[in-house]
Amino acid sequence: MLSRVAENLYWMARYLERADNTARLINSTTQVLLDLPIGAKFGWDVLIKIPDLNNLFLKHYPKMDESSVVHFLILDENNPSSILSCIRYARENTRTFREVLPTVLWERINGLYLYIQCHAQSITRSRSQRYEVLNQIIERRESIVGLVMGSMSHDTAYQFILLGRNIERANMVTRIVNVNSETLLLGDEAIIKSTQERLWMATLTALSAYQMYRHHVGLHVREQRVVNFLLKNALFPRSLKHCIGEAKSCLSMLPNNTEPMKAIQRISRRLARISIDDLKLAALHKYLEQIESDLSEIHNTISQNYFYLYRTPS
Amino acid sequence: MDEEIMSTLVNNYPLGDAYDELIGNDGQPRQASRPLFDFLADIDTNTLDARRQTIEAAIITMGITFSVYSEAGNIDRAWPFDIIPRTIDRKEWVRIDAGLKQRLTALNLFINDIYNEQHIIKDKVFPGKVLAGSVNFRSQCCGITPRFGVWAHICGTDLVRDKDGTIYVLEDNLRVPSGVSYMLENRQLMKRLFPEIFQSITILPIDDYPIQLHDTLVALSPSDCERPVIVVLTPGIFNSAYFEHCYLAQQIGAFLVEGSDLIVKDDYVYMKTISGLRRVDVIYRRIDDDFIDPEVFRPESKLGVPGLMRAWRKGTVGIANAPGAGVADDKVVYAFVPEMIRYYLNEEAIIPNVPSYLCMYDDQCEYVLSNLDKLVVKPANESGGYGIIIGPRATQEERDRFAKLVRANPRNYMAQPTISLSTAPTLVNHHLLPRHLDLRPFVLQSNQVSVTTGGLTRVAMREGSLVVNSSQGGGSKDTWVVDTEDY
Repeated sequence: MLSRVAENLYWMARYLERADNTARLINSTTQVLLDLPIGAKFGWDVLIKIPDLNNLFLKHYPKMDESSVVHFLILDENNPSSILSCIRYARENTRTFREVLPTVLWERINGLYLYIQCHAQSITRSRSQRYEVLNQIIERRESIVGLVMGSMSHDTAYQFILLGRNIERANMVTRIVNVNSETLLLGDEAIIKSTQERLWMATLTALSAYQMYRHHVGLHVREQRVVNFLLKNALFPRSLKHCIGEAKSCLSMLPNNTEPMKAIQRISRRLARISIDDLKLAALHKYLEQIESDLSEIHNTISQNYFYLYRTPS
Repeated sequence: MDEEIMSTLVNNYPLGDAYDELIGNDGQPRQASRPLFDFLADIDTNTLDARRQTIEAAIITMGITFSVYSEAGNIDRAWPFDIIPRTIDRKEWVRIDAGLKQRLTALNLFINDIYNEQHIIKDKVFPGKVLAGSVNFRSQCCGITPRFGVWAHICGTDLVRDKDGTIYVLEDNLRVPSGVSYMLENRQLMKRLFPEIFQSITILPIDDYPIQLHDTLVALSPSDCERPVIVVLTPGIFNSAYFEHCYLAQQIGAFLVEGSDLIVKDDYVYMKTISGLRRVDVIYRRIDDDFIDPEVFRPESKLGVPGLMRAWRKGTVGIANAPGAGVADDKVVYAFVPEMIRYYLNEEAIIPNVPSYLCMYDDQCEYVLSNLDKLVVKPANESGGYGIIIGPRATQEERDRFAKLVRANPRNYMAQPTISLSTAPTLVNHHLLPRHLDLRPFVLQSNQVSVTTGGLTRVAMREGSLVVNSSQGGGSKDTWVVDTEDY
């Protein structure tokens, strides 16, 4: 497989995953905010913190209210991580390797792009229309993932897609848990007591994990249990541990994997060592910072070993 | 006209002066198009319009696009497609097929001769000064004989039909002809649109083209392995034919590469892959000669691969079309093709050339200059309809400006009488109206020669317009070679 194509496949998967994650996050936040008491610290600003886009946001908007945040995250082309930008990049990337993908896949990705372009306006009109459109985006994107799984040979191209998706997911779950712990760390104790449970519930919902958590862990949303579930559960497809496991199995199918594998082992060891049950918020935050840097190390080794091998510096 | 039935549309068809491909002078469908009109007769315009809309939606979701250089920001446009097909009788097609094979065979003999002994010049059949003035002649290619002596492996020949029904060759595209993917996609669209009709008439299939292209390229491989590595070399996503490059790579199981994906080491070509360098056997390049190797041609080219020509000359890689093949893709050289056919094959051309006047000859140049209002004048080396003047439709001012260009560089111009280009019924705002068209069949040659069944029909969508290029507002139609023996 061409290095350039591998890189584009990897990023296509990351962009699509990012668009999907953002859509879920916005929908779950909309739901949860309706239930929060007035004065609660948790607000729309959290959605900007998770992808770490504060500076970019403040360059274009005066304050972090709902309509600005939502516009920035869904439609703003100044934001390279907005849903529209992600889907556009994914589509442009797909154009560059249409020859390695099933034709229908290109049609679906193109269809997703045309859909969001066509419904951009209704997103800003009302919460219920926004909810509908975001759900459609999630559904269409799920159909793309289904198509990849069901109609593509599980060849090298497939491994790079899977790798991109899982690295992006791992980043997302880590960022969400980290931002939550930070929010709680800085918050007023009285309010935190009353909102903590809702906050973690929102997190579970945003990661489509609420139902599985209830099923496998319990009805009560307890901070440590949620964090444990999201980071260390081996079976839930969006948990950090599961994503790392998937990335590892992709890499095992690829050539020249020594360096990326080392990076995977590093993060796996860190994950195994830590016990969430007796972890204080401050320690958790510090721990997650390390995990984030491990994740970017995995990405770097993948880039160096597969994408930039023969690239002549321009 | 809610419930209007197609037959009324046909009856109201305003047949013009030109030859119409589907409707005869008596206003009745020709033999090859009769079953089509029988079928359309039962369809009301609403149904037809609904199907047209379905097709337009399909074109957008399938992403069948082409790009226009000048439109900044908007890099691709949906492919303009007319749902009324163009029909050709199989009996006529058999003759065209033979004529196209004859022509490309002679052209390849010519190119190989030109880069080697130049017998045709020594025998005074072809003037050496034409070669001296050719911008597509590559001295770097002299002394080379590629496999089978073939230089132009993929040729797109433009055919037009005049008022009296004669089919002429308008030009031979021997550099990087495009359009074949649209031919294939048009058929897919038509099968989606009118599945019923394909069951009731014998329309010859066209989908063997990718296999033939694949086999043509495989034959160029210098290595004996069963599955040689074939790449399609594209200038990238901003090229107007990028869609086609992807499409063909996918269809023939080739890697789609850009220049930066390739590297030449010790005169072998490799591509950069995730597991290291991999040897490339055949390159189907969709980049002009000028850009393929900055070591030999334009040094500033970022699209090409340094060292590619060295590898090709050594025979470690096959390139289609061979560098230098464009020497015969010159509108002045074109005028000599009937002579070439006589000289190399000892045959008469089966499909005639459009009569041509070469401005390099003083007497012909004078004729051209004094008849600018009647002629089409073309520069020798442009493609895509750029730089031509259609005398009868130009203003006096435009003609004067063109006369100056011709005088300054007569070798670079040739002229032809305006051919009135045949028409076919085309759906325009619920009406069938005649629109001018041409036909581009694709001819392949390596160890054998083959021709597409039909080709790409390009239509000038504007009333009266003779310009069919998609870059200038042209559309296209599916082309049906119909076996009329059946009925």
